[in-house]
Amino acid sequence: MVMIAGWSTADDIIMMEQMPIFGGYSGGVEETAICDVATMLASFALFDCDIHLDGPIHIRWGTTTTRETLQIAAHAAAALDRNTDLLLANQYYTLAGPCTEMCLLEVATQAITDTASGRELISGSASSKGVVKDKTTGMEARMMGEAAAAAAGMEIPEVNRILDNLVSSYRDYYLKPPAGKRFQDCYDVKEIRPTDEYLGVYDKALKTILKCGIYI
Amino acid sequence: MVAPRALDIYESFDRFASGKKVREDTWDYVTIPTNALAMKEKYNINFDNKIIPEDDDLADRLFLAGVEMLACTGFYNTNLGRALSVSEEEILEGIKKAPKKIKMGRGNERVACKARKGNSTRKPIIQGGPTGAPVSEEIFPNMMQSYAQEAAVDTLVSGILNTVSGRPATTNTPWEIKATLAEIRYVREACSMVGRPGMGI
Repeated sequence: MVMIAGWSTADDIIMMEQMPIFGGYSGGVEETAICDVATMLASFALFDCDIHLDGPIHIRWGTTTTRETLQIAAHAAAALDRNTDLLLANQYYTLAGPCTEMCLLEVATQAITDTASGRELISGSASSKGVVKDKTTGMEARMMGEAAAAAAGMEIPEVNRILDNLVSSYRDYYLKPPAGKRFQDCYDVKEIRPTDEYLGVYDKALKTILKCGIYI
Repeated sequence: MVAPRALDIYESFDRFASGKKVREDTWDYVTIPTNALAMKEKYNINFDNKIIPEDDDLADRLFLAGVEMLACTGFYNTNLGRALSVSEEEILEGIKKAPKKIKMGRGNERVACKARKGNSTRKPIIQGGPTGAPVSEEIFPNMMQSYAQEAAVDTLVSGILNTVSGRPATTNTPWEIKATLAEIRYVREACSMVGRPGMGI
């Protein structure tokens, strides 16, 4: 609160982050979404926040891309979007690591969810659950941006059908997700260029996403 | 009754300081789950199998449940061991003061983050970066450049510099400050290297 007082007085933009845990103290998806809405409201009404950074996370898998955490994020965002003009963001924690199709599918799924549920900013991606050193790259952000652009303006029932297909494409791999590669193993570090292998993986993910119902 | 005014960080602090004493385990294991379940039942909040709600009334009831959850529960401060109280009117007054639009970055890279309504045809702002994941000192600027060079990315979010001058950036030590300032320099450098020096970070 001391730091918020400083930022607020200096007229800085304050992004307040909070990640509700599904399967924790709150309970099921509905109770967690209720707590998520309450906490987002508190960020603006009590703590001088300008934009809120959400991130419902699964207690078992430690990711934001499961069906349950996507459902919590989407319902909470839609509830606030319909009733306020608050600026809402969401962040990305995937189970799979960079240079894997699963990682890109997870990112695309959440980007489509966040866009269609009315969020204003999306932030990511912390691949490999954001806990493994050097396992994040710009290619995941490319997928995040391109999936969001493709989903913007679509009808919600159509988006839901696509999301069902996308989640089904990776949910069977939760127990043994592909570890992927470090930045320095899937990019030419000097030229900052993704390897041909990663470009091939990206193309393969685009084809799978197209089969799920959306062209990116 | 209408709220006299919206709260700010100073009034929130005073309310925490004079708030009701509550044990943290009571708050976590009793207060939160009990009240969340009560709101779920009162407002009949049941998600079907849809990831994004297609029922507008459900979304509206969820909003009301969230407002009442905050008003009837308050907010817990773990440092003080006290809970703040806030009324529904103060919550609704408080969110009115929040901005509907913010601008990030400068020059050619300045972007406006404006309220979207539903699934607007205007895509959200894309903030690329490791989102707090740990990154080696040796590749930090290069990795940030991999985000800054993406056309789809509008602004950057940093990673965590694993070491600075080869030393761990341990919390509450001078190395933490050095690492934070180094992170900012590296991110700025990445933006400049791709010709986007004004990107919001």
